[in-house]
Amino acid sequence: MDILLNEEEQMVRDAARGFLESECSPTLARQMEEDELGYPPALWKQIADLGWIGMSLPEEYGGQALPLTYLGLVLEEVGRAVAPLPLLTTAVAADIIAGHGPDEMKQAVLPKVVNGDHHLSFAFQEVDARIEAEAISTRAVVDGEHFVVTGVKMFVDNFTISDQCLVVCRTNEGSTGRDGISLLLVDRDSVGITETALISTAKDKQSKVVFDGVRVPRENLVGTVDSGWPIAQEMLDKATALLCTQMVGATRKDAELAIEYSKSRFAFGRPIGSFQSIGHLCADMTIWVDGAQLLTYEALWALDQGRPASTEVSQAKAFSNDKCQAVVRSSQQIHGGIGFMMEFDIHLWYRRVAAWSMRLGTSFDHRARVARALIDQPGNVRLGEPVISV
Amino acid sequence: MEFAYTETEESLRREVQAFIASEITPEVMSGLDDVGRSGPAGQELYKKIGDRGWLAISWPVEYGGQGGSRIDQYIVEEEFARVGVAVGGAGSGAPVILAAGTEEQKDRYIEGLISGDISLCLGFTEPQGGADLAGLQCRAIRDGDEYVINGQKMYTTGADRATHIYLMARTDPESKRHAGISIFVIPMDTPGITVRPLWTIQNNPQAPRGTTYGENRTNETFFEDVRVPADCLIGEENNGWYLGAMGLNLDRVGASRYLMSVRRDEDIVNFVKSDERAAHLKDDPAVRDRLAELWIEAQVCRLMTMRSMSIVESDDRDFTYEGSAEKVWAPEHGVRTTETIAQILGPYAQLLHGSEGAIEDGVFAHNMLGAFQSGINHGSLQVMRDQVARRGLGMPRGS
Repeated sequence: MDILLNEEEQMVRDAARGFLESECSPTLARQMEEDELGYPPALWKQIADLGWIGMSLPEEYGGQALPLTYLGLVLEEVGRAVAPLPLLTTAVAADIIAGHGPDEMKQAVLPKVVNGDHHLSFAFQEVDARIEAEAISTRAVVDGEHFVVTGVKMFVDNFTISDQCLVVCRTNEGSTGRDGISLLLVDRDSVGITETALISTAKDKQSKVVFDGVRVPRENLVGTVDSGWPIAQEMLDKATALLCTQMVGATRKDAELAIEYSKSRFAFGRPIGSFQSIGHLCADMTIWVDGAQLLTYEALWALDQGRPASTEVSQAKAFSNDKCQAVVRSSQQIHGGIGFMMEFDIHLWYRRVAAWSMRLGTSFDHRARVARALIDQPGNVRLGEPVISV
Repeated sequence: MEFAYTETEESLRREVQAFIASEITPEVMSGLDDVGRSGPAGQELYKKIGDRGWLAISWPVEYGGQGGSRIDQYIVEEEFARVGVAVGGAGSGAPVILAAGTEEQKDRYIEGLISGDISLCLGFTEPQGGADLAGLQCRAIRDGDEYVINGQKMYTTGADRATHIYLMARTDPESKRHAGISIFVIPMDTPGITVRPLWTIQNNPQAPRGTTYGENRTNETFFEDVRVPADCLIGEENNGWYLGAMGLNLDRVGASRYLMSVRRDEDIVNFVKSDERAAHLKDDPAVRDRLAELWIEAQVCRLMTMRSMSIVESDDRDFTYEGSAEKVWAPEHGVRTTETIAQILGPYAQLLHGSEGAIEDGVFAHNMLGAFQSGINHGSLQVMRDQVARRGLGMPRGS
């Protein structure tokens, strides 16, 4: 047991931080909020060359086969830099394809993903935005050599720039729960897809996607028909843990900006950071983001062990939602009026953390999952022993 | 990062659990409850624990320790603390003797601290303040080969039974604040020391074993022209502030403090799961949400403890603010848990030990009276936040 970053992990983090500090300024983040693509293709190509996209993908497809933790450390830095890079969505969808897709699909898709030539997205949430199987109502019906997909997906990140989207569907019409779920890799330009941009506080690319009789070849199935729930769960867990790393990275930087501001901002003849009301708030902000980071790292570690990690992931997301939000709000408070102005940069972090705290499951959603694991199984619980989700 | 314990560490944990299951019977526990470690039951138990090599695991071999890792020590401490038996640790005094004492002092104290023949009480806090420790007034003035001590110490828990007091006093009367402070270890039977009891609010009636702050008695200790040999001084004269702070940092982390803040989280979940009086609570969405929230907070307590252990074991990392951060988060969490349990269980949670209808021996009610105490002793929440802000974040001092 040694939960500090080891030397190699520190190197990964430091390299990512150094690269993004030199290549990705807050100005770039601002520009991309107004940009049609929402990300700079040249920078995307650069991170492909650095091996970030294929970091956790198998070597036979050009990846580096590193633990998910390493990708998490990189995404923590992406969050820290508020870098406009659609890395999380492509990496998670590719990871699921690598783990559960047919060989032909892997060979066709993954090398292009690793090179930065192929974007992926994933679609789980619907109008009923819960992260439970019961909320999945998009249907996929077999018709000859195709599935025919009909339904509405909401909050699909980076759909607009993706070449393909991994869509969680209900293939068994009679089912309502975890049975009858399947995952299909759908071409974005398929006939019958209508996409509407959602405009969030993060001002990144998110879409409502309507599938109206979209024909998807049967070979685009990931996993087996009707048994896709564990895969969907794994996808959600990985995406959620990685989203937590972005939240932690952005929140840490946001807190650091507030701390530095409080040292140089004078009022009543002294730096405001010398007032205990500010100092103690900054101490709490540090403790909160530490807690979110520790829970997130443990979730990533648990995922890398290949054991069920849904409880750890939900712990991390529920805590990060509440506490990262509290940190960035406190940082706004410390900045006073200037933090409310568009010309000042601190809102770049505030608006993103706010949006991320509502994505991929609310605090209530994730605590409900933790409560099921804690309460609805026989036997006593003991801290330090894994509580497996149900 | 590695969150799992090694196979060797896991097997140590199983070994300790098996020992506890077979050796710590209700009879042994009641023997401990009556007279503590000094009684026959206590002596026999600690002899057995010592024979296994589980006392002072992380202390150096040459002074009777096992030269093992702090993590092994943590594992053993956690398992014993779960049944209310204290092993290892010995507060903040022993690490300071090990770090700054002379060879003669180490020989004099450490083995006895391990065997239990020597025990320390903490003499830092004074009547005018504990949070403002550097303002202490108790004086130890050098006079030839002796120091002459005059002053008063507060909340000297264990002073009525300890063999020695681990004392912080001002050796330079002209000095202000942190300079001019020194550390001593002094026999309690030295003439001129008087101990007067103070009784805590948590223990009337006596709180069940495992309650947050289980000591029913603490003390105030008076020093009137107490003359002690100069070799009671630990480390250099006037350098005691640094030593004392180092010891406190180590004492703020570890199994017993961690468990103090999280045991009730386990208790309430297990109660709600299994007790018929909680049948209506189990499916209440508000209760479930709060229990999950507390559980997640408790995981943060656990992870902060693991972080501290990792730092202690690390070759190139030292505490900047992490111990203080843990000492803010964990006690406040313990209080939130206690107060939430009160509102979940309602009137049952007010019933003390021995009352008709008391749940779990009244532990929740006693905890309500004592949980906040861990946010006061050994560095209050406010002082800890100051340390995080100043030492961790480099915030400027007030004018």
